[in-house]
Amino acid sequence: MILDPVHVAGAGMIRFGKHPAETTLETMGAQAATAAMRDAGVRAADVEALYVGHVFGGPVAGQRIGARIGLAGKPVSNHENYCSSGATALREAWIAVGAGLYDLVLVVGVEKMTDRVKGGVQPDPNDLDASIGFLFAAGHALSARRYMADYGATREQIAAVAVKNHAHSVANPYAQYQKPVSLGEVLGARPIAEPLGLLDCSPISDGAAAVVVASRAGLRRLGIRSAPRVAACALVSGTVQAGLGDVNEEDISRRAGAEAYRIAGVAADEIDVVEMHDCFTIAEIVRLEGLGVLPRGEGARLTEAGYTSLGGALPVNPSGGLLSRGHPVGATGAAQVCELFWQLTGRAGGRQVEGATTGLAYCKGGSVSGTDGASVTTVILTT
Amino acid sequence: MPTTTAESPGTRAVRPFRDGLVALDPPRLLGSRCAACGTTAFPPREFCPSCRAVEHIDKAELATAGRIHSFTIVRQAPPGMPVPYVLAWVDLPDDGVRLLTTVVGTQPEEVELDQPVELELTPFGTADDGASLMGFRFRVTTRGETR
Repeated sequence: MILDPVHVAGAGMIRFGKHPAETTLETMGAQAATAAMRDAGVRAADVEALYVGHVFGGPVAGQRIGARIGLAGKPVSNHENYCSSGATALREAWIAVGAGLYDLVLVVGVEKMTDRVKGGVQPDPNDLDASIGFLFAAGHALSARRYMADYGATREQIAAVAVKNHAHSVANPYAQYQKPVSLGEVLGARPIAEPLGLLDCSPISDGAAAVVVASRAGLRRLGIRSAPRVAACALVSGTVQAGLGDVNEEDISRRAGAEAYRIAGVAADEIDVVEMHDCFTIAEIVRLEGLGVLPRGEGARLTEAGYTSLGGALPVNPSGGLLSRGHPVGATGAAQVCELFWQLTGRAGGRQVEGATTGLAYCKGGSVSGTDGASVTTVILTT
Repeated sequence: MPTTTAESPGTRAVRPFRDGLVALDPPRLLGSRCAACGTTAFPPREFCPSCRAVEHIDKAELATAGRIHSFTIVRQAPPGMPVPYVLAWVDLPDDGVRLLTTVVGTQPEEVELDQPVELELTPFGTADDGASLMGFRFRVTTRGETR
């Protein structure tokens, strides 16, 4: 490992949800950034660079945010990896700080969606799958139906992901939805892409989340004695698929997990808490299996049995996940890291995973026809 | 861009919606096949996704008979995409190819896993020059019908 230790010195976000049109991307990004800087006790003048993840924010959204919070003139970069954009921005910050280029930088994930995205998100129009009629909901529905057929999982077991994550969200003041839902409500919801219904799908949301990333010298400058360490921030892309294998093989998740475990020097069974990209219920199940934290084909059954609930053996999405917190796509990766930061510093309130010292956050962003995905990020935070 | 009023031959022609992806007569999907390991790819690739060879990748016409590996009935889609429609992973067992496609020929509620389907061409809109673009979909094979 050639990078110097890199830490999260502070975190801040705004509540995700459907914000009015006048609450702009710039407003939200600036609010989250200011909250994170206040949390870390860093002044704008001492922030050396800004890394911004977004998808639909248009050209130089990061600079538009930076100009509002006193970072004009500093290095600002914009990072797009679809739903992994926020985590990809963090990865660039992690590399730069770990390489010794900076001691204190700011990472912002932000998205304004409710005024520009209707009916679900799609691949780029130039992608072959888009011209065939592919939607992300449909892709996960194909996964769900095959998972049930191959592993004997039930529709109810898949729906249990939504019930669990909504139950967790009740204690998360940043979540778009903070109410429990029943199994019957999930099963009876309006169908979107069968077998998945509305409550199997994460919502279209607005929001922003930010973290201050620091070297050891940066922490000293802020008077912070200890802070969670970014032990790994891995990134992989999908491979071109051939043949008639298991559509839920999740090789991309396996590779993303393996890379993070390698960099962090952490084993899968040492993870105490996971923030998982549950853009759809089934996605949480198959990705956990791909990461190797649940046995293949067992994820749905284990979810129903409470294994991944707060108080279970491996709590997944104590924040409520994308299903409840909302999914402003570029912000999600940063929000996951905010949650892990709060979990590892004992500040997660009613959703605290007791004694959590190692957390993993997973994002999967985008699709490319013929591959098993576009981008997957895996972040490991340790105390 | 200058506009032409005279119709030149071919402007109302029919052509594949993407070059090299479908053949119109007879209707076929076009893929690529690795001479070294025999892996077939769709859409055609300039390399072999299995053995990574970049040489001796040949063009290949794919079999038209497939079976449904997984499917969904899409009930909600962005504006401009009429619902419901059936989207499926269809396997072409003869080629070892799995591809994404829409499926027609039966009520959406009657689509099943492993159901046999057959390739057909279908309009995929109109090009800027007026040509109609042909794409593909699969049709459920009538019960009892043999391939």
